[in-house]
Amino acid sequence: MGQITNSFLEAFKLIFSFDPELIEILYLSFEITIIAVLISSFIGIPLGTVLACTRFYFRKAIISIFFALMGLPPVVVGLFVYLIFSRSGTLGWMGLLYSPTVMIIAQIILITPIICCLTFQTIESVHLKYREFFQSFHIGRLKAVNAYIIDSRFELITVILAGFGRSISEVGAIIIVGGNIDHLTRVMTTAIALETSKGNLSLAMGLGIILLLVAVFVNVAMIFIKNKFLNPSNQDL
Amino acid sequence: MLKKNPNINITNLSYSINGKSLLNKISLDISGNGITVILGANGAGKTIFLKLLSGLINSDNGEIKTNSKDFSFRNSAMVFQEPIILRRSVLSNILFVIEKIQPHQKIMASELMDTLGLSGKDNQNAQTLSAGEKQRLSLARALITQPKILLLDEPTANIEPTSTIFIEKVLKRKSSSGTKIFFVTHDINQAKRLANDIIYLESGQVKEYSKGSIFFKKPTTLSAQKYISGIISDG
Repeated sequence: MGQITNSFLEAFKLIFSFDPELIEILYLSFEITIIAVLISSFIGIPLGTVLACTRFYFRKAIISIFFALMGLPPVVVGLFVYLIFSRSGTLGWMGLLYSPTVMIIAQIILITPIICCLTFQTIESVHLKYREFFQSFHIGRLKAVNAYIIDSRFELITVILAGFGRSISEVGAIIIVGGNIDHLTRVMTTAIALETSKGNLSLAMGLGIILLLVAVFVNVAMIFIKNKFLNPSNQDL
Repeated sequence: MLKKNPNINITNLSYSINGKSLLNKISLDISGNGITVILGANGAGKTIFLKLLSGLINSDNGEIKTNSKDFSFRNSAMVFQEPIILRRSVLSNILFVIEKIQPHQKIMASELMDTLGLSGKDNQNAQTLSAGEKQRLSLARALITQPKILLLDEPTANIEPTSTIFIEKVLKRKSSSGTKIFFVTHDINQAKRLANDIIYLESGQVKEYSKGSIFFKKPTTLSAQKYISGIISDG
């Protein structure tokens, strides 16, 4: 019990003294996560929208594949990306292994199906609701899709936040492709794993507390958006 | 002087789903003016008929013709039983259906809001309106397109009497200014108040098509007599 208390105290000291090592890890964690989430959103939201609003051959098969990809085991993704970017891999010539770039790529592979599928569900429900109305007023496809996205904007923000939450807490894939190199590819989750194995519980705990706060913040933000904007009795648009 | 619209000719109109016939060879010659009320028990094919008229679904066979480019179902607007309200302001909802908004259309939107008892609610979130207000908003949105043909699927089924009165008044006024109106309802008294002519459907077939005054006084079929007297309320 004493060790846990001490670890907590040390952790808070590190946080409030703005420990440079901690800040560096935090900065890289957020940088990688935000870039990965942005790119995944740029891919996943339009893709989910297209799947929701159009009908074509193999559409259902593609949707099923994307839903299956939501459950991708991170370590398998890590291994797959490692094989591609390792020196003997297809893209080994790029020299990206053990760099933040390849960590972002692994994150994108993991998050894009999540963002795509959640977008698909969101947009499809709006599409089914509005379809006949739009048809009866001869609303063009572009205007219709625009309306779907605008009218689902708060749901889509929660989709992006869900992707962010998944990404920031990811460890399996990025530890394989990033290598957890100090000052280069060490992020919160990989640092927690390393520091725990080294017995440096205060830094691990400090990072753990921040990760926990981030997770809580994301969930609170999602609940806030839901209550504030997705409640039909609310006056805000 | 009211402009006389050309008649709407429906020939052998049929519609089926998975081999089950929902409308069977409907042929009618309907006046291009006035309010045509479509009556029938649940499952008689009223909504399907309205959707075929609006072009929301395509018929298996048959055709709907109007002998004028100006007066066609391309110039139609539909009001659904459950109002579909976009997540934006009342005014934005009305203006949404217009391709390129002109200044006079903003004035028209404002007038429509006044007419339908929605004045002062321009910037209110449309989702917060009452059921009746939402339906009035749906009607305002349909009317801003200045449709030649207006199709309404039980628009007053779930709303309060005040809104029903608003809607009926506006429909009568639009009808007398030349808009052709198709109105589906289960409310016999409402049909009596509104109908110039009545289409009575049963099991996907037209059992009776006559002037409103004749239909309610002397229905020719037994099923229509039963329906009016309230013996048949649903399928």
